[in-house]
Amino acid sequence: MAVPTHAAMTGDEAPAPGGPNALDALLYPPPALPHKPGRVREYNVAAADRELEVASGVFFSGWTYNGTAPGPVIRATEDDILRVNFTNGGSHPHTIHFHGIHPSDMDGVFEIVEPGGSFTYEFPARPYGMQLYHCHSTPLKKHIAKGLYGAFIIDPPEPRRPAQELVMVLNGFDTDGDGENNFYGVNGPAFYYAKYPIRVRRSQTVRIYLANLTEFDPINSFHLHGDFFRYYPTGSSDHFEYTDTVMLCQGQRGIVEIDFANTGRFMFHAHQSEFTELGWMGFFEVVD
Amino acid sequence: MDSAAPGLSGAWRFWALLPLLLLVGVVAVFAARGSSLLDLVGRAPPPADQFDIRRVEFAPGEIRIRVTNPQRPKLTIATVTVDDGVVPFRLDGPRELGRLRSSTIIVPFQWVEDDPYTVGVTSSTGIQTTFDVPAAVETRGPSPKGFLGYALIGFLVGIVPVALGLGWLPSLRNAGARWIVTFMALTAGLLSFLALDALVEALDLQAGLPSGFQGPGLILLGVAASYLVLTFVSQRFSAAGGRDRGAPLEGVALATLVAIGIGLHNLGEGLAIGSSIAIGELALGTFLIVGFMVHNVTEGLGIAAPIADGARVRVVRLAVLAVVAGGPAILGAWIGGFITSDVLGVLFFALAVGAALQVVVEVVRYVARRAPGGLRSGHVIGGYLAGIAVMYVTGLLVA
Repeated sequence: MAVPTHAAMTGDEAPAPGGPNALDALLYPPPALPHKPGRVREYNVAAADRELEVASGVFFSGWTYNGTAPGPVIRATEDDILRVNFTNGGSHPHTIHFHGIHPSDMDGVFEIVEPGGSFTYEFPARPYGMQLYHCHSTPLKKHIAKGLYGAFIIDPPEPRRPAQELVMVLNGFDTDGDGENNFYGVNGPAFYYAKYPIRVRRSQTVRIYLANLTEFDPINSFHLHGDFFRYYPTGSSDHFEYTDTVMLCQGQRGIVEIDFANTGRFMFHAHQSEFTELGWMGFFEVVD
Repeated sequence: MDSAAPGLSGAWRFWALLPLLLLVGVVAVFAARGSSLLDLVGRAPPPADQFDIRRVEFAPGEIRIRVTNPQRPKLTIATVTVDDGVVPFRLDGPRELGRLRSSTIIVPFQWVEDDPYTVGVTSSTGIQTTFDVPAAVETRGPSPKGFLGYALIGFLVGIVPVALGLGWLPSLRNAGARWIVTFMALTAGLLSFLALDALVEALDLQAGLPSGFQGPGLILLGVAASYLVLTFVSQRFSAAGGRDRGAPLEGVALATLVAIGIGLHNLGEGLAIGSSIAIGELALGTFLIVGFMVHNVTEGLGIAAPIADGARVRVVRLAVLAVVAGGPAILGAWIGGFITSDVLGVLFFALAVGAALQVVVEVVRYVARRAPGGLRSGHVIGGYLAGIAVMYVTGLLVA
């Protein structure tokens, strides 16, 4: 066997924690529902302090929504009434700040929820696109770096074409508190999708709801090997770019649509080599 | 009461144990209840969880990182990075390290010769310890060639200059008593320099040790041990010479003592050179070897001076003196080149300090008795200062 090098650690060589389906709830979004204005979409979100295994054998004292960093995928169709029942089971004051259009008293900035307290966010979901949410308590940097963020998908009134849908929230973890990330990943732990490649079919479009919530670093990026994709910035219009690399600042997000030309194992990773080698890498296993 | 004494005389040993038994009892009670007591006054901060990266070695296609746990709580090796990239690794040693326990991390890695590298070891608690390597150079493992190489270096910087310095003996024999004591004072001066030099080396080296090793205490132990053992030895020399045990040493006995003191210093020096070469910190230039030779040649003079006014000494005996003074440099180079131990380094340098100081005392006693004008004569003061100055100036070659 060849000497393993860190350039392409795959399978068991990849030092990722967790089992084969551990991140499924974060990777596969709940299904889109047809357009029905006024329908209530209700989610329960609880903040909780958790020890997270963010890289193989490395534990991080995280702050989470529903026990994971990123938190649960929240999905609604445009004109649904989104209702999020938030309880703060953590040890610090938290909020949920959603991106999108909503009243100022639902913005998660002024209504700080103390530990043990709760708050219900309720507003019409709009505009359609890939949105996101995160805690907006101060110090903001700390609350995001600890893991309080997640994906928020708003589907358009006119349903999107059927596709194999995935969610990828780019994040990092500063495990030694020096203001720099020690590990990077997608949907949480480092190297996870290098150890467990994402299986997709060539026959159907792969749609990725992509968001960057990496703290400390000004930008993050997404690069696909062996193919090109359509990138819809924020996913709120039909405008797209045809490329294999996109760059996102914190809070920037969009929708990626890939029609794989070939089967086989294709890498995806940040095109910042440092992030790649600190865990932000993975593979698609494209099959017929 | 005297009549009761024989019965009690052995009992003091038992009563001496009593405080220890009581201590065990108190410790047991505290260990069982102690944590609740500590809770009354606050909460202990979390451990630093920093590894002590002792040594980073480069072999073809491989980087080896020697780590020690310097703290009381256990420390677990979780991930390893090279230049801020997570790398696969295997371990030679445990993954979970108890206090002062070590492991070697072996990383398959295609490194670039002469490039700088930063290696990092992250604990299970997420704390990353990094170590900067200024330039990657292949570390040679123990091999007959390496063994010979270090021996040659030790020979060149230790034995050769001492032997050359002994070559001053014939001319010293024809010098007057005044000149002999001048050179003896010079010997005291250069040994004082070596003592301070070794002390600084020991202090520098111990500063890098985990605090559990108690570097300063180790230095004191080494200095006191070598000083007192040499004091004991010099008394034996006096007694063997048929003189009063307290009489100052002279002749071959004094020369032997000087050689032992210098030898211990060269042991430390050899170790420092050997380990610096092994970890690629020291450019092994001809200039440096020449520098050490010039620096050490005066050591031979120091050994020659005490035997200059006595009976003739056979060449074999001179050779033995040269080996005693210079040979340890070879031993030191081997140890430094092949074994990772800053603890040994600290100890060796501390031994050198004590030995040099003891020999200074012996030489001063000799000079005090033999110098025509006593210790306050211009020759003695001039010689002593010249000894320090010579070491300082030649030291510039190796600094």
